[in-house]
Amino acid sequence: MHYDLLRQGLEAPICLTWEMTYACNLRCVHCLSSSGKRAPDELATEEAKHLLDAWAGMRVFYINVGGGEPMTRPDFFELVEYAIERRIGVKFSTNGTLLDGAAARWIATTDYLDVQISLDGVSAQVNDPIRGSGSFSRARHAMELLAAEGFPFKVNHVVTRQSFDGLDSLHALVTGMGGQLRVTRLRPSGRGRDVWNALKLTADQNRALYSWLRAHTDVLTGDSFFHLSALGSPLDGLNMCGAGRIVCCVDPRGDVYACPFVLAPEFRAGNIRNEPFEAIWSESPLFRRMRGWEVGGQCRSCGAYDRCHGGCMAVKHFTGVSLDDPDPECVFGAQSRPRGMALPVLH
Amino acid sequence: MKRSDHIHLDDAVSLRPERFGALAYSYRDRQLLFIDRSLMPFVESDGRRSLGEIADDLVGRGALAPDALPRLLTVLEGLRRKGVVHAL
Repeated sequence: MHYDLLRQGLEAPICLTWEMTYACNLRCVHCLSSSGKRAPDELATEEAKHLLDAWAGMRVFYINVGGGEPMTRPDFFELVEYAIERRIGVKFSTNGTLLDGAAARWIATTDYLDVQISLDGVSAQVNDPIRGSGSFSRARHAMELLAAEGFPFKVNHVVTRQSFDGLDSLHALVTGMGGQLRVTRLRPSGRGRDVWNALKLTADQNRALYSWLRAHTDVLTGDSFFHLSALGSPLDGLNMCGAGRIVCCVDPRGDVYACPFVLAPEFRAGNIRNEPFEAIWSESPLFRRMRGWEVGGQCRSCGAYDRCHGGCMAVKHFTGVSLDDPDPECVFGAQSRPRGMALPVLH
Repeated sequence: MKRSDHIHLDDAVSLRPERFGALAYSYRDRQLLFIDRSLMPFVESDGRRSLGEIADDLVGRGALAPDALPRLLTVLEGLRRKGVVHAL
């Protein structure tokens, strides 16, 4: 039922991703936004506050703040406080390197705030080749600071071929510190395109991950593995692509994209310096098209369509397949999809 | 829930109108809930009138079937258990 309600879009995003800056003190090999240097034309503080006012007026429930490393912005705390004062929940992702004791205390005493520390392996040996030398120990230190404040932090883990075997150990490490593990899907977006073939899970790992997630219901996924729901009972979440329908992404320059995984001109709906965010959300031709579109092709005759809805648009786009083709990581491969009733494609 | 109950929305829940009714988001447990439009007059009543009074008014205006209230009370009980609404 939720799919039918949500597919045609909402009055406002449930949540949206705000990439605050392209500046980052790390150079992760799979960075979705190819971050590193700050862009010279990033939104100024007053522009950012104006945007937050718009989201508050639309009653956006919460925003996922990322980057780049959002804590590199000198006005980071000011903007987070501004959002929370307007009853917009903030979930911010950080590599943890700039999180000190004072920041941990501030986080622990602030309502409507969630923090995700990025960690892509249970050890430096697994994590550091992806996120950079020393990044494991610095992230671990940030976790310890938050744990010392009794703050229920989250650890965001992009699961890869190399990290998969360490999932149980990572789960134990995070929960043992009072945190919660969030496992998300590698996408071939940004620099992720260069490492996609080397880091993506094998077919066997994808099947094992589905069972692991079913067995670990305390683990969050950000709804990013809905393509695996084709294997059986749906995973927790909405199990659909929400791009331009229930979510979107605003980049540091104010460009509005369908989702944070498709920062590409084809999926740019507008810029908040040229027109109000509200108008982009409700009127942009791109978003209107997406709300009338469903994955077509052979997915429509697959018996698992109701569970995966054709998979992730971004993964298809950046691997060069048609958006109407099955997800490149479709669990059934090319030949063995279960037959189901053919459904009409809606336009 | 009973006809005589008065309810109000939890302070940590944000309600946003949508074409099917509303989305409710709880900042307490980060849960998202779909609220059917038939429930809106009750959820938004802010405890001013009892559930029975609201239903009688809706039935009188032809906006609610006379036999619909028991089902709605069951759904509202589910929302109460999730902490979305509270009985006064």
